[in-house]
Amino acid sequence: MNKLAILEGLLFVVGEEGLTFDQIKDVLEINEDESKNLVKELKSRYEEDDRGLRIDFLGNRFKITTKFEHKEYYQKLIENPTTNFLSQAALETLAIIAYNEPVTRIQVDKLRGVASSQMIRKLVAKGFIKEVGRSDMPGRPILYETTSEFLDYFGLPNIEALPDMSNFIKEAEKEDKEETDLYTSKYKENEVSS
Amino acid sequence: MELDLKINEFEGPLDLLLHLIKESKMNIFDIKIEQITDQYLKYIESQEKMNLEIDSEYLVLASELIEIKSKLLLPNEKVEDEEEEDPREELINRLLEYEAYKEITKTLKEKEELRQEIYTKAPSNIQEYIENNTEIKSDITLDDLVDAFQKFLERKKESKPLSTKVTEKEITVSSRRHDIRNILKKKKKISFFELFPVISREYIVATFLAVLEMAKNKELIITQNDTFDDITCEVTK
Repeated sequence: MNKLAILEGLLFVVGEEGLTFDQIKDVLEINEDESKNLVKELKSRYEEDDRGLRIDFLGNRFKITTKFEHKEYYQKLIENPTTNFLSQAALETLAIIAYNEPVTRIQVDKLRGVASSQMIRKLVAKGFIKEVGRSDMPGRPILYETTSEFLDYFGLPNIEALPDMSNFIKEAEKEDKEETDLYTSKYKENEVSS
Repeated sequence: MELDLKINEFEGPLDLLLHLIKESKMNIFDIKIEQITDQYLKYIESQEKMNLEIDSEYLVLASELIEIKSKLLLPNEKVEDEEEEDPREELINRLLEYEAYKEITKTLKEKEELRQEIYTKAPSNIQEYIENNTEIKSDITLDDLVDAFQKFLERKKESKPLSTKVTEKEITVSSRRHDIRNILKKKKKISFFELFPVISREYIVATFLAVLEMAKNKELIITQNDTFDDITCEVTK
């Protein structure tokens, strides 16, 4: 039987739930390399202009999706396109959790400067974050982590695909930096001589 | 500075402070604490005048600002110290970090919008593919089935509840009399003890009364040849 065709069917059946790489290996009973090539092959065939679907990697899972190039046609099908976007508070909370996971509510509160328990509850209900255990800190607070649904919602293949945090932190003027460098190097010298 | 903004336009005190810093074109690394504290407090006051409720978090930051301001005003005794600590440092770091997350949300928002331009489908219902796992091995004989059935029956016996409630069957003297009459018709002579096959109080009492009654009515004769001998009941001739 043609494994490429089987994979195509599998991806259709699972729909938005998608298939992990391991699932593909297990179900098709093939090794890592073979499954990699299979996915690659199917992906490239779908990329042809005359195909309406695409194999995407979202939230650590392969999924069949439509192509965004055709979005206007799909949107014609919907009578009242209700675009439902997350609030600024939700985005902030998610960003803080995603870059610090696993993280406690208190840590999120501190970074946001406001209480976040309600927002966290909402995000858990939406499936964007989940409890992943308890911290060793006093009171053993619950630790939260983002889910595969979170990644998919933002079209991210995996957590590493988040934009680099350091690009977003403003840097002080060069003078300041040199000054601190001087301090640290001097400190080191002292340490060696003593 | 115009104060026509409402507090709920901000995501929190850090957001508000960032806004005020930007508004007054201050360098975030060199915040004029005195100026910004005044602006911040003025803003909070204006909200109170409008009878808007102010979350405690805003007041916490207000007190922090005042604390930093007072620290800056007080003469520093350890001026000689090489590494003089800037009381603003902690706040600046917090603001920078918060600002970074705020910037990231813009990227996330773009990604959110882009993702909504592609569609997936709900998973198909694959219930019908769930295999029925009753496999019949070819080497099974009818005897195996019978064995299995018998084992099942035994198990069923064991699974009987230990205590059951049985509806009481009423035993009357007349019914026992009838029974004894039938027995005697067949056997003519019977041991007294044989008349009590069931040991239950009602049964014994009813049977005993029946025997006495029948003896009284001369339907049977009770005899005992010797002390401790078997008592026999005989039909009257």
